[in-house]
Amino acid sequence: MRISVEQRLRRPRWLTVAVPVGSIVFAFLVAAVVLLATGHNPLPTYRELFDAAFLQNQSIDQTLIVATPLAFMGLAAAAAFRMKLYNIGAEGQMYLGAITGSAAGLYFGGRGGPAPFPIAAMVVAGMLGGAAWALIPGILRAFFKTNEILTSLLLNYVAGLLLTYLIFESESYWRQTKGFNASVFPTGKPLPHNAVWPGWTLHIQGGLTVPLGAFFAVLAAVVLWVLYKRTRFGFEAQVLGDSPRAARYAGVRMRRKILAVMAVSGAIAGLGGASQVGDFSHALDGDPNGLQKIGYGYTGIVVAALGRYNPFAVVLIAFLLGGLENAGNTLQGPSFPAGLVGAIQGIILFSALGGEILTHHRFRITRKTKRVAAAAPEAVA
Amino acid sequence: MKRRKLALGTLLLVIAALTLVFASASSGSPKASTPYKVAFIYVGPHNDGGWSQAHENGRLYVQKMLGSKVQTTYKENIAVGSQFNQTVASLAAQGYQMIFATSYGYITPQIAAKYPNIKFEQATGTLVAKNVSEYFGRAEDTIFLSGMAAGYASKTGQIGDVLAFPIPEVVRHANAFALGAQYAHPGATVRVVWTHSWFAPAAEKKAAQSLVSAGVDVLGQNVDSPATGQYAESIGIPWVGYDSDSSKFAPKSWLTASVYNWGPYYLKRIEEAMAGTWKPGFYYGSINDGFTKLAPFGPGVTAADKAKILAVEKKIENGTFYEFTGPLYDQSGKLRVAKGVKMQVLKGGTNSLYGINWFVKGVIGSPKG
Repeated sequence: MRISVEQRLRRPRWLTVAVPVGSIVFAFLVAAVVLLATGHNPLPTYRELFDAAFLQNQSIDQTLIVATPLAFMGLAAAAAFRMKLYNIGAEGQMYLGAITGSAAGLYFGGRGGPAPFPIAAMVVAGMLGGAAWALIPGILRAFFKTNEILTSLLLNYVAGLLLTYLIFESESYWRQTKGFNASVFPTGKPLPHNAVWPGWTLHIQGGLTVPLGAFFAVLAAVVLWVLYKRTRFGFEAQVLGDSPRAARYAGVRMRRKILAVMAVSGAIAGLGGASQVGDFSHALDGDPNGLQKIGYGYTGIVVAALGRYNPFAVVLIAFLLGGLENAGNTLQGPSFPAGLVGAIQGIILFSALGGEILTHHRFRITRKTKRVAAAAPEAVA
Repeated sequence: MKRRKLALGTLLLVIAALTLVFASASSGSPKASTPYKVAFIYVGPHNDGGWSQAHENGRLYVQKMLGSKVQTTYKENIAVGSQFNQTVASLAAQGYQMIFATSYGYITPQIAAKYPNIKFEQATGTLVAKNVSEYFGRAEDTIFLSGMAAGYASKTGQIGDVLAFPIPEVVRHANAFALGAQYAHPGATVRVVWTHSWFAPAAEKKAAQSLVSAGVDVLGQNVDSPATGQYAESIGIPWVGYDSDSSKFAPKSWLTASVYNWGPYYLKRIEEAMAGTWKPGFYYGSINDGFTKLAPFGPGVTAADKAKILAVEKKIENGTFYEFTGPLYDQSGKLRVAKGVKMQVLKGGTNSLYGINWFVKGVIGSPKG
């Protein structure tokens, strides 16, 4: 008997329903086995997970804190991956966006003026910072054919060290130097009030604040969708991704496109960085035990893949994964090891991604053994 | 396009359905008694063999002493910033009344103001507010003693120290370690390497390797994992730990360590909180109240050296010895603290224990990271 995997020529409609459903159900079943094996009752655990993620008081408020950066990171990855440009550097581009964004906030926020101006400056500066960082692997790829996966990944570490350097190892513009507390432990200089991004507070679930960044993320998704679906630019980028030779033949300028797509991807990640500062930390977070420990940029790649690079799906998946992450911290404790939380999250993600293969491929089981057996007597004779 | 939408819709439906199922299977068990709920936030794993484990031992001590009167939990590996804030929000939703954040940088004035009914306690910081207390201990005294053990154990007088962050807390501890080593071994040097993380076993091991290749023959540390010790054990050189008794990770290399006993402080503060007498403040424990102490000595410390170390410990206890007494010179040989002047905890800017940003003479490496 042999099992072979073949590409599906036709995708039956029921599959698009059955596969995601099956994957999730499968994930919860497997996770249930793990839970039972470690002495936990799966049903109350799952209930607690959903409660913490979406249902209990202020859960969505907390979920949005994770979902917002994940949406930016997912969109950044999707924008580049769509053209088969594997920008793994959203993490570092986010740091750069945080650095340039907070610089703009500190500079313009301190000098009065109309309130929206410092925030607009942060948005622009964040996008520019992220785009500039993304253009490094972009240029290397476009002009020297350097593999962008490696360069963009390694630049994440450089960006992380730069972030730490600015707060921990230098008396930079970003570092708070006034006061004794600041000398005990290094912190970023707090943003002036008019540079702090406002949230939209809803009086449901015991208070729910939708950060300004979440709106920007949705806006970025719309822009990305229009860019790829309704413009020549997006069409060319996709053709280039699918068949570089065909695109060349049609006169698409390869280098320009690579640079442009990397810049768009980096700009979205950089905007995510500016949102981290403006929406959440209100100061540049250089602590390696802070923003850098979480790794939104890497989770963003998973978000992009699960959303199949569709901008709207990416935003939705970011929200769901944000809930999962948020619930993880609620679940863990003395009777529920953090490693088990990670295992359950991993099983869900793995199943959801693994299920994808079934929509594009099918497994065929061929019974080779019978034919061999039938042929055998002849050989003997 | 349509298929994708359909698929996503279904995914959402499934999640909604599951949510409903679990919501209906609700287990609203009535609470018999209402224990006082206290949470501990750890910067690394609860069983890191160092810093976080020492706090976890404190939590277990409280739970043991107060039994069903308290309900304690911990959250481990929590990042500073939004992840901490999120964790506090979830703890608040679950009715936790007191939170011990065991690393600096967790509590911000904003988060303290957002939850006025939660009593926050933060280790190692200086942010005291209406509902925020700060606590720590004079580890420098016991680190000085552990530095003496390193000094006696070193043949060449070249000692290495694996450090986390270039911040006053770590600089102070490294200075105390160097002063102790020089007290025992005149002219000893302490070479330092920064890992930029409280808990990063791989980076700590690498740092230890680089120190050994630079010629040191004894290792010390101010990071949270016992990776340095495991490396020391593998190449057979002595090691001084930190935070917890980690002798089991390197039984032969183990000399001693400055360790913290957080439990009694936690018990006292939680009892005060339960009784309604809790007040915010700055607590700095010491060898005298049992907050800091020296871990049991390993096989590498001779009886004679032990006696000398314990004699200095006695003097520290009765106040006749203090390692941060002038004259103290910095790396360049410049006099920083004049003869007879004692460095204070909070007062004195960069010449205070909480503000020090310079290394004493004999430390090799930059205090800026």
